[in-house]
Amino acid sequence: MTNTHPLIQVKNLDLHFGAFHALKNVSVDFHAGELIGLVGDNGAGKTTLIRVLCGIYAPSSGEVFFDGKKIEKFHPKLAIDQGIETIQQSVGLCDNLSIARNFYLGREPVKRILGIPFLDFAKMREKSTRVIRQFGLRDNVSADDEVERLSGGERQSVKIGRAVEFMNRVVIMDEPTNHLSVREREHVNELAVQLKEQGLLVIYITHDIFQVHKLADRVVIMENGAKVADASTDAMTAEELEEVIRQGGRLVEKREAV
Amino acid sequence: MKQLVRSQGFGAIIGVVAMLVVFTLIDFSGWWTNQTVANVSQFTAILAFVAMGQALVIMTKEIDLSVGSVYGLAGVAFITLEPALGVPGSFVLALAIAALVGFLQAIAVVKGELPSMIVTLGGLFAARGIIYVWTGGSVHNFSPAARSHPMTRLLGGELFGIDAAILWLITVAAILGLLLWATPFGNRLLATGGSRESAESRGVRTDRIKIAAFILCSLLAGFAGILTLCNQPQTHVTLGENMELEAIAAAVIGGCLLTGGRGSILGAILGALIVVSFRYELIALGAPSSWYITFIGAVLIVAVIFNQKLARFLGHSA
Repeated sequence: MTNTHPLIQVKNLDLHFGAFHALKNVSVDFHAGELIGLVGDNGAGKTTLIRVLCGIYAPSSGEVFFDGKKIEKFHPKLAIDQGIETIQQSVGLCDNLSIARNFYLGREPVKRILGIPFLDFAKMREKSTRVIRQFGLRDNVSADDEVERLSGGERQSVKIGRAVEFMNRVVIMDEPTNHLSVREREHVNELAVQLKEQGLLVIYITHDIFQVHKLADRVVIMENGAKVADASTDAMTAEELEEVIRQGGRLVEKREAV
Repeated sequence: MKQLVRSQGFGAIIGVVAMLVVFTLIDFSGWWTNQTVANVSQFTAILAFVAMGQALVIMTKEIDLSVGSVYGLAGVAFITLEPALGVPGSFVLALAIAALVGFLQAIAVVKGELPSMIVTLGGLFAARGIIYVWTGGSVHNFSPAARSHPMTRLLGGELFGIDAAILWLITVAAILGLLLWATPFGNRLLATGGSRESAESRGVRTDRIKIAAFILCSLLAGFAGILTLCNQPQTHVTLGENMELEAIAAAVIGGCLLTGGRGSILGAILGALIVVSFRYELIALGAPSSWYITFIGAVLIVAVIFNQKLARFLGHSA
């Protein structure tokens, strides 16, 4: 399934916030058509790593290549333009705006009248309505309703629907099933697999090792800002995976030593 | 209808209706005269320009305390530069000065990551100081030629029997309303104030949005100053003093939330109408003019409580 050259290649990445060393010499490859589980304890550096990939943080040193090209400037807009979509826990939707307005925020479809770009409300409404129906929002929720009215699951659905709709190459899911009902969780996970099967790179961040072991092709484990393990899910059982995280990577070192 | 009720200006519409009912009941003969209506609408138009700009900045979750000084500075520039540049030239340069003040403050807020309240408080003092230095404390007038210049009349006179300022307000408000409601810029401006982090995660350059809002705000304040002086071409060093407070009050009465992301152009105009009407009616009723400030304070607090209750009733979290 994996291509020969990685879609995203991270080389010797370091990130400092003042005295805090948030990422330590991280190197990892991600291929198109892969579903990668990114796991580790709170503060392990998972979210920090993906924030570099989606352009929010610029690394202190090291390199990131996207599709073989080195990324020189880090900005969310550039990442989105390259087709890297991120679904984060608490970020991504503005409560004060309608679903349709949130859906297209930053890349609004326009109709030009006398050369002036006006929002194409009809298109915004129609497309976002179709997507929110597909992702199982309540029937009485319309695209004109403010996001404030939505439940946690519905919010995630809007974000995922948005990522699917814009035909991205990379979808990063940062604990996408938090606050979701069992059924909604299954739906989101099915979707992650579906995205992968369409040839996208899916990076899935979670604390739920058993869930990610079932879903992912490969699991990358982080601890204290460093990558401590990177293994195919075929090569390790979920229990072994859990043990590695519990040991903070020492198990892997031991194994390598042997 | 649902859109209207849910819009941020709805509270102000109720406020204006209630105010007009009360003024009609207590002072019918004094309130509904041509003179009163003309004066109130003229002053409302001027304050509304400043309040609309303020509303745009507040919607991005910032504040601009410098608008009164910018209003004065643009007015002073317009009058004192006229002999050298002519009316159109001084008009353009006065607006450019206003825009520059907005831009510099925005850069300090956005790039320096400083609180806008402090930066624009500095701007308030700095611009007022420049007015004192520039005019030397003296009064400046337009020459008779400048007074009768077509542009002066277009900005300060009457058109079709209506004060030019009101027609300008309607035009500019329509443009700003469309900009805010129906363009990508407006969508991103509201997003910036609603959740800056989320907006940025969608690739919105919130820095640029804020800079644009501050520049627009200063331009509108400057334009209001110019309109005032085209109507009465005489500058004072106190031109526009305390206007920032009235403009903030108007924007807030009009439904702008200082927490950002919510507000409307119509609300800002109606807020300005409420502020000006109270000032006018209190004086007309013979209350000492100094009481007016106290009343505005009371109206402001009542309006905030009312808007908050209304927002809860409509299901907004604010």
